[in-house]
Amino acid sequence: MNSLTCRVKNRFFSGAYSCAWGTAAQVACVAVLSLFTAMPALADNAGRVAATICVVCHGADGKSVAPSFPKLAGQQAAYLEKQLVEFVAGKRKNEVMAASLPNIRKDDIPGLASYFAAQKSAPGVVEDKTLARAGRKLYADGNTSTGVPACMGCHQPNGEGNERFPRLAGQHQTYTQQQMADFKNGVRANDKGRIMRAVAERMSAQEVRAVAEYIAGM
Amino acid sequence: MNRLSIVSLVLAAGFASSLMAEVRQPREEGIEARNYVWNEMYPEKLQALKAKGDVQRGQITFEVCQGCHRTGALGRVDGSYPRLAGQHATVLIKQLTDVRAGRRDNPKMYPFADEHVIGPQDIADIALYLQSLPVPPTNGKGPGERLDQAKEMYDANCVSCHGKNGEGDPLKFYPRVSGQHYKYLLREALAIRDGDRRNANPKMVRIIKDYSDADLMALSDYMSRLLLK
Repeated sequence: MNSLTCRVKNRFFSGAYSCAWGTAAQVACVAVLSLFTAMPALADNAGRVAATICVVCHGADGKSVAPSFPKLAGQQAAYLEKQLVEFVAGKRKNEVMAASLPNIRKDDIPGLASYFAAQKSAPGVVEDKTLARAGRKLYADGNTSTGVPACMGCHQPNGEGNERFPRLAGQHQTYTQQQMADFKNGVRANDKGRIMRAVAERMSAQEVRAVAEYIAGM
Repeated sequence: MNRLSIVSLVLAAGFASSLMAEVRQPREEGIEARNYVWNEMYPEKLQALKAKGDVQRGQITFEVCQGCHRTGALGRVDGSYPRLAGQHATVLIKQLTDVRAGRRDNPKMYPFADEHVIGPQDIADIALYLQSLPVPPTNGKGPGERLDQAKEMYDANCVSCHGKNGEGDPLKFYPRVSGQHYKYLLREALAIRDGDRRNANPKMVRIIKDYSDADLMALSDYMSRLLLK
């Protein structure tokens, strides 16, 4: 189904809610489908997966609330696609994600990626402004004595990333710190060119905390 | 513990460390070796020199480098990272491939420039991009002392390779020194004199071996002030 018919159909279904269309079961079905109106260009099954599977941890529009689950809203589509492909292929491993993977078909991945990429990003909450200031310096300058590159070189000054590097801006502190720890100890090893593993190995825990704090507020 | 479990433990440890540790720079013989050949044309260097670079592609590939070398490849005034903007593509290819081969020691940079990250075509692209960048006169300068003496030394011993305006020579792989940060020039001059820059030109090492630290400070200062042309 192309995106236009999908949109038209979605509009029809959400409209149908108000015209007393039928049984309670149909109403419930329509209520779920009305979620789709927020999902442009979403293939059928990808929409179902987003609304029934991803939603549990990542939130309906990719704005997860729990700090250990990453926000996906506004994330770069290319990055989302790469991660999903690599989760399915077992190149990136996570126990929680593993439970959901059997529900994701290869064909759904581009649709899921573009759906979450199209959602409006949600800023995080900075809890420690002093820490965030230290993080800002690291983000912009790196650490010249230990050879930590500035994050902004790849992830861009505004933290939004680009076609080649993921968005960081607004991410939960807990998630960012966990990823850096995983890169450092090799649990996560699907980074392009091993770059993040090299960066993580050079950063102290305090530096990671500071950068994560700054990123949350970007 | 039986032999099998020891073997599997060793294998597991090896596997874990291959995942964990950043990639270490290899070490190749350099100026310290008796049969050292300056600017030896090993295959990767030749490949990169022969490849047709693309400025637009190079700009994209350079993203990974700009976390240290900064936007526009302007480096840092404190000399921690050199300016690459405006440097000759040939010089950049020589230096980068020397680092990759382990002939120029740079463990800090290595994991971001090794074979996992870029190949010979990328090197050609990046080099052409960097060569095309403007070189604003905002580079770090020295304290401005003994500049007259430095000019005499430069005109006597440096000018024939590095040029009147510090422009270097792309065909001979001699770097441009004008527009470079003083502290980087000084750091490298000291390293070349003392044999610590292992891919250095032995001719240059001979020329500057009797220069004092103060001489090299004045010379680096002078070079950092050469007019950009």
